[in-house]
Amino acid sequence: MKRAVFYLLSAAVLVASAMLGPVRADLGDTLNYSWAANVGPLNPHAYSPSQMFAQAMVYEPLVRYGEGGGLEPWLAESWDISADGRTYTFHLRKGVTFSDGTPFDAAAAKKNFDAVLLNSQRHNWLEFINQIADTVAVDEHTFQLVLKNAYYPTLQELCLIRPMRFLSPSGFPEDGNTGKGIKAPIGTGPWVLAETRKGEHDLFVANERYWGNKPKFKRLLVKVIPDSDGRAVAFQTGQIDLIFGSGGHGSGQIGIDTFNRFASMPGIETAISAPQATRVLAINSNLFPTSDLAVRQAILYGVNKAAMVKHIFLGVEPMADTLFSPDMPYCDLGLAPFAHDQQKAAALLDEAGWKQEKEAGYRTRDGRELAFDVCFVGNDSLQKSVAEVIQGDLKRLGIRVRLVGEEMDSFLTRQKSGEFGMIFGDTWGAPYDPHSFCSSMRKPAHADYQAQIGLPMKEEIDRKISEVLVSVDEEKRQELYRDILTTLHEQAVYLPLSYMTNITVHRPELKGVTFGPTKYEFPFELMSRER
Amino acid sequence: MLRYIAKRLLILIPMLLAVSVVVFLILRLGQNDPAMSYLRLSNIPPTDEALAVARQDLGLDLPLPAQYAQWLGKALVLDFGRSYVTGLPVLSEILFYLPNTLKLAGFSLLLTLIISLPLGIWSALEKDRLPDHATRAFAFAGVSMPGFWLAFILVWLFSIQLGWLPPLGMGGLDHMIMPALSMSLMSMAINTRLIRGNMLDNMHTRYVLYARARGLPERVVVGRHVLTNSLIPVVTAIGMHVGELFGGAVIAESIFSWPGVGRFAVSAIYNRDYPVMQCFILIMTAIFVLMNLCVDILYAWLDPRIRLQGGGNR
Repeated sequence: MKRAVFYLLSAAVLVASAMLGPVRADLGDTLNYSWAANVGPLNPHAYSPSQMFAQAMVYEPLVRYGEGGGLEPWLAESWDISADGRTYTFHLRKGVTFSDGTPFDAAAAKKNFDAVLLNSQRHNWLEFINQIADTVAVDEHTFQLVLKNAYYPTLQELCLIRPMRFLSPSGFPEDGNTGKGIKAPIGTGPWVLAETRKGEHDLFVANERYWGNKPKFKRLLVKVIPDSDGRAVAFQTGQIDLIFGSGGHGSGQIGIDTFNRFASMPGIETAISAPQATRVLAINSNLFPTSDLAVRQAILYGVNKAAMVKHIFLGVEPMADTLFSPDMPYCDLGLAPFAHDQQKAAALLDEAGWKQEKEAGYRTRDGRELAFDVCFVGNDSLQKSVAEVIQGDLKRLGIRVRLVGEEMDSFLTRQKSGEFGMIFGDTWGAPYDPHSFCSSMRKPAHADYQAQIGLPMKEEIDRKISEVLVSVDEEKRQELYRDILTTLHEQAVYLPLSYMTNITVHRPELKGVTFGPTKYEFPFELMSRER
Repeated sequence: MLRYIAKRLLILIPMLLAVSVVVFLILRLGQNDPAMSYLRLSNIPPTDEALAVARQDLGLDLPLPAQYAQWLGKALVLDFGRSYVTGLPVLSEILFYLPNTLKLAGFSLLLTLIISLPLGIWSALEKDRLPDHATRAFAFAGVSMPGFWLAFILVWLFSIQLGWLPPLGMGGLDHMIMPALSMSLMSMAINTRLIRGNMLDNMHTRYVLYARARGLPERVVVGRHVLTNSLIPVVTAIGMHVGELFGGAVIAESIFSWPGVGRFAVSAIYNRDYPVMQCFILIMTAIFVLMNLCVDILYAWLDPRIRLQGGGNR
């Protein structure tokens, strides 16, 4: 019997060791990357489950968002805007073909625009789509857009990854309605989707017909790794070559602490992008007690953001003093920051009649306690830490902060309904900031609308936003933005915390790793491996 | 016996129906709005208009009873709707991922048996000696260690430090070792102790004494008489282990990026993908009930003293 047991155990060990093998990374012409989900059907005119970074690899825009918000010619070599700001004439780049060989021309451009307009209801969150009156293929290489009004962010919104990029006519369904799906994801971009294995990976190959800089890697394998810790292990064990995307919790590629761990390891290169969007909390001007301007200002002075940036964001996200980074178009206004100053904050509250009877207690006015909710996504450890720091900082001022951590949907419902004292509500980043984000402030779908609705000048702010979107005079536009953003800053309806960034982690052999112009544009085509 | 099986299978129908009602109500009576999740996943601002379009697209604009009736009507013909996230039929999605989970769970079960059987027997034969103490320590560690914690330790040791095993993904057998171990360690520990205990109990029974008195060699006494009888309760335990394995798969698949139904369910829960969650729970319920049925049948087959209710005239 003992012998039998011995044989059984030995057999088990043998089987196990026979299955062992060295872990090999794919080397050579394949760049290994990872994403939390498969890239989806890659319909350029639709949203989830198509992943934005992959849509940007396959499809291209007429105009591209460049450094500092500048606009660069892309599939349109140049464009003219009529004096009334309503007609945009695009001169299309010659010699561009889709990856299947179909030429990209005005007819193809019109077919794509018309397909998007066919489902305009689905895209009406984007004001530009609502503004389109007509699309005209003037000749083979000239495409014209006629708008209902002079809508200045037209070019900025054409830079978006979706819904306005171009699918080959051969990829269209029979009825031309891409809203119901597409035949195949065929674009003009540097990459072609070659294979999808559900739950495992997506394989892209270089587009041999690409008109621009052809990718240096022949293949790009995107492995499905939903978990950020799993991704870190995959990098460490050589399963992937690159970590690229936003850092932090939730949809982040890896946690900020993991990023810093890699940054301190020899033989690993890491980088942090310029600000991509702002991590911000909206303060409700329409609900007691944050309806009091003095309270809002005291919050801004009372929160120690420098400490937060150092200890929570670990230096990966720089401190934000204004709603939009000064790098964003029209946003370099030189607004005076609310620097951390507990005494000033306490003086503001004293002046406004908020009395603290006992040193350890909370302030009151007319028998009502100075207390409100700070709402965050419960399983977002970064938001939770920030909320706790705010709670601690404001307690020292005699303000009671109740922490409300909920799951994502309840949190979004609160943003929409206005049931919050303070709530996280990041800006959307380039190319949405500032125009799309400001535009959305007028609609009761956002924390911004709810945060601002108690301001005595809310109507005026909304009017100016509506005005700036259709202004054709550059100086006037700058002036209007100055008014809008200065008012919001002075009215203290936002507590900007940090500027969100993208991060990269790779080994030195991988060259050409640079950040894209917007959050979800990853320039894989520039990357190569040094042998 | 056949009547018993038929009866048990028939009970499955009202059971699944009840589960479907409870699951439907639990999911829908919360404050969550899947249309909101859909817009969030799509990076679309949740304006009233966008929400209305999303609700219409997802069939959420109907009253709750109508939604349930519509769902049930389709479910009866095995149409469980489309995933809110992928837009694909739920059943085909689950059936796509299920074989991967079965593969992993099957391997885990095999690992449980391969390791716990000899360990349990060895421990019983070497009672109160070093091997017995060692297996006791193993069993103690096994039941105390959460699967996810073991998973992280395994990854750290075998992938990061030693570089022997791939840390994630699906591929050859080497991809299965760590997830399977993390799923099955607890079952191994329980089984080892169970087999040891049963063996020791049986060794002192009268039929064993009689077998020895007949002059049978010890190998035959232990192998044929003691072991066979000791394994019967293990069958029940294995039935339970299968359930545990599916539960463990949810965690292990997420940690090891194994494209199974467990990981698919976790992402469905995160995304409030109701049709997927409903179908997943129903299929898991059916698997549990069917596993229990299999255990009962196996039990009766192994031990003729046990008679199944309604199966007395088999």
